[in-house]
Amino acid sequence: MKKMTNVIVPLALGAFLLAGCAKPPTEQIEAADKAVRDAQQSGAATYSAQDFAKLEASLAAMKKEVADQDAKFALLRDYGKVEQLASSAKAEGERVKGDTEKRKEEAKAGALQARQVAQEAVKVAEDLVASAPVGKDRAALEAIKNDVEALKASLNQVQMAIDKEDYPAAQTQAKAINDKSQAVSAEIQTALAKVGKGKPSAAKKK
Amino acid sequence: MRAVFAHMLRGFAVCQGLLLAGCLEAVPPDLVNALESVDHDLVALQAAETAPDDYAHFIRQWIPLRARVQSDDDLVRWPWEANDLETELRRLLEEGGGTVARLHRERDVKRQMAKDKLTRVEDRLRLIASKVDAIDGRIVLGGKSVQADLLVKQARSFYDHQDYQRAIQAADQAGRALFVEASVLSKELGRYTDERRIARWQTQAQQTVDWSRTHQSTAIVVNKADRNLILYKNGRPILSYPVRLGFNGIREKQFQGDGATPEGRYRITAKRGRGQTQFYRALVLDYPNQDDRRRFVQAKKAGHIPSTKQIGGQIEIHGAENELMAQTLGCVMLENQHMTALFERVQAGTPVTIVGALTEGNAVALALSQLDVRKDET
Repeated sequence: MKKMTNVIVPLALGAFLLAGCAKPPTEQIEAADKAVRDAQQSGAATYSAQDFAKLEASLAAMKKEVADQDAKFALLRDYGKVEQLASSAKAEGERVKGDTEKRKEEAKAGALQARQVAQEAVKVAEDLVASAPVGKDRAALEAIKNDVEALKASLNQVQMAIDKEDYPAAQTQAKAINDKSQAVSAEIQTALAKVGKGKPSAAKKK
Repeated sequence: MRAVFAHMLRGFAVCQGLLLAGCLEAVPPDLVNALESVDHDLVALQAAETAPDDYAHFIRQWIPLRARVQSDDDLVRWPWEANDLETELRRLLEEGGGTVARLHRERDVKRQMAKDKLTRVEDRLRLIASKVDAIDGRIVLGGKSVQADLLVKQARSFYDHQDYQRAIQAADQAGRALFVEASVLSKELGRYTDERRIARWQTQAQQTVDWSRTHQSTAIVVNKADRNLILYKNGRPILSYPVRLGFNGIREKQFQGDGATPEGRYRITAKRGRGQTQFYRALVLDYPNQDDRRRFVQAKKAGHIPSTKQIGGQIEIHGAENELMAQTLGCVMLENQHMTALFERVQAGTPVTIVGALTEGNAVALALSQLDVRKDET
């Protein structure tokens, strides 16, 4: 009987110790980490800044909890809260990423729409310049031609902002180009109203 | 025995009552609400975008503390237990409240700064535009005026969307673009403020007037800055008319097609009446003269003029082609009734001196002085 006890007690103690040495849920932690990184890469810091800040804070809280448990005596470690925080951070990361992508798409669509409107406005001004007769407001017309060229060149800046995914900047630039193009078109129409629709003269040596 | 038992029971009940009464909530709900409110204020201030470090600092403390508040373990405590959770929440409330107040102040400062800068560049843009129009100098700027205009509009747009940081950046860029505009005008038209140049023009004009007196004849002086033509007879002014110049007339003519009106001493080589010109009468000048040719060759050699460019010619003083179509590509144009009067009083050989300006207070110099480039440095 004593022999049996000598075998069973160490075995039971060993099993107890093994069961008691809890390990951090590495896979869940890594999954949470990845979800936060994915959210960041999707542009969350720009398009979902508050949510992303909270997400990073949740991740930091989870890591602190891991560190707190790691610091405890092995038998007293409990990573249950870590699991809960990791699971929550992962789910939140995925949600933030989804929201970010949606907001980014909306911003992009807004910028593309504004660019389209600006392109059309520039084209209208360009066509008006092309159809304007050389007349009393020749000085104004030459200056307007320069303006239209500058507006056309500015459309490249809108594209550059879109390429850099800076959609708010692209949208404001496009809006400014649209407003200016409309003003230029109005100026040409005013000049046209003054000079009428005569035929342009043949070019002269000057 | 029963009495003892009943006494014990009562004692137990009293103790239990006392203990229950002594249980305290770990955190007063008002405190949690106040911190929720701080978070809400920070969100409303767009702290995550405008002050990400401050917001991260707050939220990294608030999230774990809120988790502890929500955790069952911390809901109640015994009176003799230290309440570090409440202490930490109160510290965070104080810190967060301070952050909210500071961010409010910073936002007000930023808004005011954006407003001031925006107002300044908008005023500057209007001033430059009005002066440039007044001297027909828009062509000189090329597309630069559009760039400045677009930046000012962007700054306004950002400001209206309460993005004060970007409004400030755009206003600063606009300020620099306006500085470039004023600098270009100053450089291109600086000769209208050059005392020595003006003195030379005055000499040329005076010699023309003197010639008129000496030869008891007529002579013409055209002043580009003030856009007028004066006809002298026997050294005395007898007619003065406003003129229009080429579309780039404010500049000094360099080559064919630049739209600039030449400056120098010329003579009328031919008078063209009805049917002889596309315009309502014209006085043909001897441009290019020897001085013009010499300047042209020198400028070409120096690389200031592209090698393919020609010097041009057929510079005239003329009337309008018809009422609707009045154009000039580098000539001097008068209203038709003025042209009639002038045409009748001059002949081939009449001297015509075209100068940039005759006084230091000429229209271009005045406009440039009001655009003092130093003011652009916002």
